[in-house]
Amino acid sequence: MATNKVIVTNASALSSKYGAAGYGKISAALKQMVAADTKRGITAKVIALDSKFGMAAYGAPVSSPDNTRAVKGAIDAIYVHEKPDYILILGAGDVVPLVPLINPVYSPKPDEDNDKTVPSDLPYACDTAYSTDINRFVGPTRVLGRLPDMVGASDPQYLLKLLRTATNYKMLTPDDYQKFFGLSAKVWRASTSLSLSRLFGNSTGMNTAPPSGPNWTAGQLAPRTHFINCHGAHRDIAYYGQQGENYPTAHSADLLKNKIVPGTVLATECCYGAELYDPAKTGGQAGIAYTYLGGGAYGVFGSTTIAYGPSSGNGSADLICQYFMNAVMNGASLGRAALEARHQFAGQYSHLSPTDLKTLAQFYLLGDPSIHAAVIVPHSLNQTKAFKSAFAKSKDSGPRTLRRERLHRVGKGLQKDLPATRATKAGAGAKPSPEISRILAEAARESGLSEHTNMHFHVSPKARIKTEDGIKRTIHLLMSNTASGKKRNAGKVKNIVAIIATAENGKLMHLGRLHSR
Amino acid sequence: MEWRGTVKRKLIRRGTKSEHQALVLVTPEAEYKLRRSGGNPFWDETLAELEDRQIRCTGELDGNEIFMSSWKIEA
Repeated sequence: MATNKVIVTNASALSSKYGAAGYGKISAALKQMVAADTKRGITAKVIALDSKFGMAAYGAPVSSPDNTRAVKGAIDAIYVHEKPDYILILGAGDVVPLVPLINPVYSPKPDEDNDKTVPSDLPYACDTAYSTDINRFVGPTRVLGRLPDMVGASDPQYLLKLLRTATNYKMLTPDDYQKFFGLSAKVWRASTSLSLSRLFGNSTGMNTAPPSGPNWTAGQLAPRTHFINCHGAHRDIAYYGQQGENYPTAHSADLLKNKIVPGTVLATECCYGAELYDPAKTGGQAGIAYTYLGGGAYGVFGSTTIAYGPSSGNGSADLICQYFMNAVMNGASLGRAALEARHQFAGQYSHLSPTDLKTLAQFYLLGDPSIHAAVIVPHSLNQTKAFKSAFAKSKDSGPRTLRRERLHRVGKGLQKDLPATRATKAGAGAKPSPEISRILAEAARESGLSEHTNMHFHVSPKARIKTEDGIKRTIHLLMSNTASGKKRNAGKVKNIVAIIATAENGKLMHLGRLHSR
Repeated sequence: MEWRGTVKRKLIRRGTKSEHQALVLVTPEAEYKLRRSGGNPFWDETLAELEDRQIRCTGELDGNEIFMSSWKIEA
């Protein structure tokens, strides 16, 4: 029988962390998961990427657990052979590493985006070969998620708990995901309200910090859909609100014990919102993503690094999180929801800006990708005896194959057709045309940006795309250097921090402005 | 590890969701955001007294952030 789901891990890394006894418990738990999947009509297979025996049918085993190139090669080889509907990566980054993609908006200047790399699972979801260039991974085709153990752990209990959740999960109704726990930094309430309205038809009951949080009651956290748009930080157990220069704690992992309802799905826009790190670095308390999963949440969709998004309107992190949650609420598996979110995000523009590239790479799924949180609302035919009898053995595998075919086609199309956005090397070619320079300077003056630095990018269409000869599209970011980017307008202070101009052969095509958070 | 420098308040991570006024240790070699384990990463009142002071501090460097374990105001 065809393998529908592969569970990939590094056996040596797990044994090294948990010892032979601990690894034995994990293996037993995986057998139970595979058995449960079989009852659901999913044929699952556990493959140790480092095992010569386990990888015999696919290719070379991974010899070093932190060799991302080898891991990518191994996962690709498995995918080509098995064509699974789901790929589950078992383990955190010290078991199966995330790929360190180059951040296209990295700057060594301390006042800019200092994420040199974007730890990402995106490459494992793509057919293209290993690279650290995000442009190579704009067309994911695979349904993939990661079930993380604790970084640096020696007790397997946490991972065993997550495996039990994934093994024993029950599909709930769409109604179970119609109520939400929404939380926003006060400064971003307009943006979050828009996101919630798009998902639920309204944002009634949205919490803002300040004044609310972090000591939420179990009742407040009871809705199974959590949508959070707050600040987050590297190696920190909390999310933070903001009003002016006040950043109160809004949500904290140490206050969530026994309050997460099993089946909860969290979409978090926060910077580092889904970062995995050793709890030893935070006094033994694991971060929010770990805590949600440990409390029985089915999945967390969040970022590994500094994220982007506007203070009002929706963009970047707002959008990719919305797309994910919308798909979950409409019955997609968690992994399909993540893939569809990536597709919808990547495919909505003529080209991806540098910050959009980072957004695509940094948001990922923590959770078993095969979990359907909400049942797909069935057609009436599906309720008939004839239908149930016809699909008694194969269950959803046929329709799932058709869905994967469509998703594969969409991903391939995106990778083939989306132009690449890359930084222009310093020199004469990097400078914008006189017209663009003038427009940027005028826009900067009107926006109150007295001091600023510039970043330049060029957009290169794929070779197979026929374009008019000599067309050159460029993107110019003008970033505010100081807090001078403030404009007083009828008593309101608007913090404007960047002007983005898209030009074609030196002529302006689009002008945008990023507002600070 | 040990560092020595002047603490300045600076706007960092401009244009990102993490943009904020931070306390930054300015040293001859580089600038580092100062943090305290368990402290608010966006504004830590305990560290606020260090603004514009010259300090010597010990801690762990993680990326371009110093997680301070101890500090001493020198001037």
